[in-house]
This record gives sequence, C-alpha cells and structure tokens, in this order.
Amino acid sequence: MFALVHLVPGDPVRLALGTRFSQESYDALRERSGLDQPLVEQFFGWAGRALTGDLGVSFRSGETVTSQIAERLPATLTLAFASILVALLIAIPLGTVSALRPRSVIDRVATVISQFGISVPDFWMGIVLILVFAGTLGWLPSGGYVPISEDPGAWFSRLLMPALVTGVVSGSVITRFVRSSVLEALGSDHVRTAQAKGLPTRQVFTWHVLRNALLPLVTVTGVQLAYLLSGVVVVEIVFSWPGLGQLALQAVQARDYPVLQGAILLFALVFLVINLVVDLLYTAIDPRIRR
Amino acid sequence: MGARSGAPRGSEPASAVTAGTAPVLEVEDLRVRLRTPRGPADVVNGLSYTVGPGETVAVVGESGSGKSVSVLALLGLLPARVATVTGRAVLQGEDLLTMKPERLRQVRGPGAGMVFQDPMTSLNPVLTVGRQLVEGIRAHGDVSKEAARSRAADLLGEVGLPDPKGALDRYPHELSGGMRQRVVIAIALSNSPALLIADEATTALDVTVQAQIIDLIENLQADRGTGVIWITHDLGVVAGIADRVLVMYGGRCVEDGTVDDVLERPAHPYTRGLLGALPDLARPAVDGVVPDLATVPGTPPAPTDLPEGCVFWPRCPVRGDARCEHEQPPLVQIQGLDRHFGPSGLPHRAATWCTEPTSDTGLPASGTGSTALGGDR
Repeated sequence: MFALVHLVPGDPVRLALGTRFSQESYDALRERSGLDQPLVEQFFGWAGRALTGDLGVSFRSGETVTSQIAERLPATLTLAFASILVALLIAIPLGTVSALRPRSVIDRVATVISQFGISVPDFWMGIVLILVFAGTLGWLPSGGYVPISEDPGAWFSRLLMPALVTGVVSGSVITRFVRSSVLEALGSDHVRTAQAKGLPTRQVFTWHVLRNALLPLVTVTGVQLAYLLSGVVVVEIVFSWPGLGQLALQAVQARDYPVLQGAILLFALVFLVINLVVDLLYTAIDPRIRR
Repeated sequence: MGARSGAPRGSEPASAVTAGTAPVLEVEDLRVRLRTPRGPADVVNGLSYTVGPGETVAVVGESGSGKSVSVLALLGLLPARVATVTGRAVLQGEDLLTMKPERLRQVRGPGAGMVFQDPMTSLNPVLTVGRQLVEGIRAHGDVSKEAARSRAADLLGEVGLPDPKGALDRYPHELSGGMRQRVVIAIALSNSPALLIADEATTALDVTVQAQIIDLIENLQADRGTGVIWITHDLGVVAGIADRVLVMYGGRCVEDGTVDDVLERPAHPYTRGLLGALPDLARPAVDGVVPDLATVPGTPPAPTDLPEGCVFWPRCPVRGDARCEHEQPPLVQIQGLDRHFGPSGLPHRAATWCTEPTSDTGLPASGTGSTALGGDR
C-alpha cells in the first residue's frame, strides 16, 4: 500500500511549492518532509510512528493527519450509519415481500428496483436528486454538512439526499441477499415442523424464517457498512460532504502522502473491526458457532 | 416381530376397533394436483382410507408414489400456490380440507401431530429444544412459560431423552440423530394428538435407533390410543408395527387390507413385486446357485404423464387381462385369496384386473417370497 502511494507519478514537493521556486527551498522542503530518504527507511519510520498513533503531518496544510481525520470522521460516520439505515429500511421489507411471493408482480417490481439501484451510477442519482429537490423544487439544500450539535434541522436536511443515494445503492445489494436467504429459510424443513405444530403464521415467520434469514443478512450488512465507512468518494464530492472519501481524494490530488497513508490505514482498520464485529454477532445469533 | 399386546393385529380383534368406535380420520377420494414447469402433475389420485383410534395404518410404496404428499395435503402443509387438494379428510368430525386457516392451525398439534423424515433438518438450528417444544404447547392453550417448560421436560423424559431438564437448553446440533428424532416426536405429541403421522420417521436412522423409535411410538400409542399413519418404504417395519397396510403406486392405492392379508397373500402384482424384491435369507440356493435379488423392473410413472389404464401396467409382468392397458381397475374387495384364514374383519382390496394368485406370473406365489416378513407362520 505504501509503495503504491509512492508510485503515483508526481512530486508532492513540487506541487506544494507552486510554479516558481528555487532549488534551495525545494531541497529544504524535501528534507523536512523526509522524502530525501530511501523508501524503505521512510516506510519503517512511518509505520513505527503510526504504531504510536502519530500519522505524520500533512504536506499541504501542515496540520497533523490524525486531527484532519478526526475532523472528517463525524461526517463520514453520520452518512454511513444513515445510509445503512436507509438500506435496511429498503432491503428488509422489499426482499421479504419478494421472497414470500416469488415470481409475482411485487417480486418482479422489487427485482427491477434493485437492479436499477445496483446499475445506476450513484453520482448520476445524486445529480438528479440535486436537480429535482434542490434545484427545481428548492426543498433541500444541495450539499454541505452541519453537525447535529449546531442545528439538527439543517443537519437532517443536508443528510437526507446523500444518505438516500448511498442507501439505495447498498439497499439494492442487500435486497437480493434478503430475498434469497428468506426464500431459503422458507423452504427449510424446520419451517414445516413449526407449521405442523400449529404455530400462528406470524410466529412461524418471525422465529423460524426471519430469525434464520438474519445470519446472511448480518454478513452482507457488515460488508456494506465497511464500504460506507471508508468513504463514498463520488457521493461525497457530489454533495460536498466533508467526509473521509473527500479527504482521501484531495490527498491523492496533492500527492499528500501522509494524509493518504493515514486514510488508507484507517480504512483497513475499519474493515478489520467490522469483520470482527460481524463474527462476534454471529456467535451471538447462531448457536452452532458457539462452543 | 414387535406385535403389540392389546392392540388390534391380525384377524379377530381388528373388527372390534372399527365397529366399536368412530374412526379418527376418514379420507375420501383425496386428490392432489401440483403445478409444475412440465405441466400439472397428478400426485395423488383418489385415495380413500380410515384410521381408527389406536390403529396403525402403514402407507407403503416407492419414492414418488405420493405417500408424503398425501399426508402433507391433509394438514395443509403443501404450498397453496402450487398444490390443489380435493376430496374429503374428516378428522374427528371436521373436514380438514375445507377448514378455515385459523381452525386448521388449531387442529395442527392437538388434532394431528407429525413426525418428519429427517431429524437433522426438521428442527430449527438456532432455537433451543425447550423453546421449540414450549412454543408448540403455548400455541394451543393459555399455559404459562414455566408450566409449558415443565411439561416439555416431562415429554422429553417420556420419549426417553436422558436428562430431560438439561436437554431443554440444548440446541439441536448438540444432540444425535436419534435424540433429535425423539425431540421431534415429543413436539408432535406435545398436544396429545388424536392422530400421529410419521412420515418416514425412522428412515434416516440406523437400525437399532429405528427399533427404539418404533417401540417408543408403539408404547405411546398403546397408552394414549392415538391413531397412527406410518409412511415408510420399509416392509420390515410394516410387518412389525402395522395393523393395516395401504400400498401406494402412482398416487393411487393399489392394494389395502390387514397386514397379514397384504403381506402374506398379496393380490396386486405390484405388491407381490415389492415383497419379492425383499432379500430372503431363508431362500435356499437352487443347485448351488443363490438366486439374484429380485427387482421390480422399470421406474414409477411420472405424475405428469400417468398411463391411461392400470397405473402399474407399463411395468407389470402379468398383464393378464385385455383391460389392463386401457381401463383403470377399481379398488375392490378380492375374493378367493383369503381362503387360508377365512374372512378377516377388514376387507382386503386391490385395484387390479389380475387377482388370481397363479404360479405362472413369474413372481413368487403368496407366502414363499415373504417368509422374512410373515413371522406369524
């Protein structure tokens, strides 16, 4: 990962200094950033400091990387959890209904909707939403982020559209999973046993179908959440959402190695942590995994 | 042979049961048609039988003969989108097939309990055994959780689970196949059903466990007077537990009668074929040659494409009548076959044009091929 970042053509020092600079100031800055040292040394230096929580200083702004990430984190967390909420609100009812009536009109409509969600580019959906709700109708602001502590109303109105766009995309993926896992649970023998003992339909459905269909749902939701937490770059740009994705993109453009490395490290950690949480959840909901 | 004491078996006591009390279940002209991608499939075609209290009716036949579907249809457990069920099935005076869904739900459990084939899959893996028992008990009465739990523990003890109290908190995967099947039986019995349907309940179990489960059901049946429908393709099990036998082929009943009549004096060429296909250790080698295991040649007809005449005609080695190919034989009481023992209380019926037990059929004449089964002789 480190090597990949440094392989990107372009010189961060040159970019930082602008068009007119002297060789002295170039060398000075290069030395100060540690870019004059061999790559291997740079890597071990960075990795060692990263272990102590020091991710270095941004070439561009001079702020520490950790403070920059901390600044962007609330926006990303907000959008990710709002999106996953939207996604589940779409996926669970839609997937369940289409599993209950396979090949029915509802099922086909649900398939079309989720195919649409999977295939339509999110930036396009974002632009269309902005044009309609911010432009023509003027109901919602076109973008930006306001912390909930400052103005909950503004926070919500600005969150709505980006959360909807990313939620629809994730929700479409999750819908397919919900449908197939509910279908599978419906067809299993223990559901017939539950019916044969005279349980009310609702109870059969909740405890013998949905309860069992939950297992694959947890996995796919975890994957989607990890993806959302590592910043949805395009949607963040469209809605000028100051999240981690935007930060990472700006760091790439400026060849701001420390920020980019810090962001990537964080994304990797997010995936690890979410996978761990999913595994722990699994042991909680599937007794077969417990020992 | 696990002939049960006190329960009707063989000739004389059988009539007492059917004459004395009303049957638990009366099935009349049951038909099931399934919608399949290859067109409508007639899986069950006019099945009629009764099950008396304390009586065990064995339903036998090859895979695909409609055994399982016919009982699933009784309790409305076939998916309504694909299955059309017609006929009458009166359980304790109420027709199951025209019942309102809520009433049918109430009947599942106290009216009829069901034990399924595969204990590995018929319990919910993510719920404890206790929970699965308790929810069944509480679905049919205002029982507190604690009362239902203690009843569940009693039931598990009754079906022979060691440490029944502890077993309540175990998950199905922590139990062996035989233990799981006991749990399934406990669930089926938890509301003291008038009718117990065992759909290949011992097929997935090994022979010793199978014998235990059969004993268990027989004892429970003797205690409670439950009527039992025992679906199986194992004729050895049939000989051991059944009072009456119903042989299914191509979704039809091709022969029924008391277990002695059907197994000792089979009338239908298919039944004879089935019995002839049993390995027989007592059969002597002829001139040093051990006879091959007999089979019924061919495969059962596809339910989407049943033959016009006798369902068994395409595979029948007899074909002794001109009507075989074109006309469906009715299920009628057969004459002359029961001469050895005189008329039993229950009719012995078969749907075939060729009832004469002749030795030129190429099949073993009645009795000789079934010595392994006919323990009473």
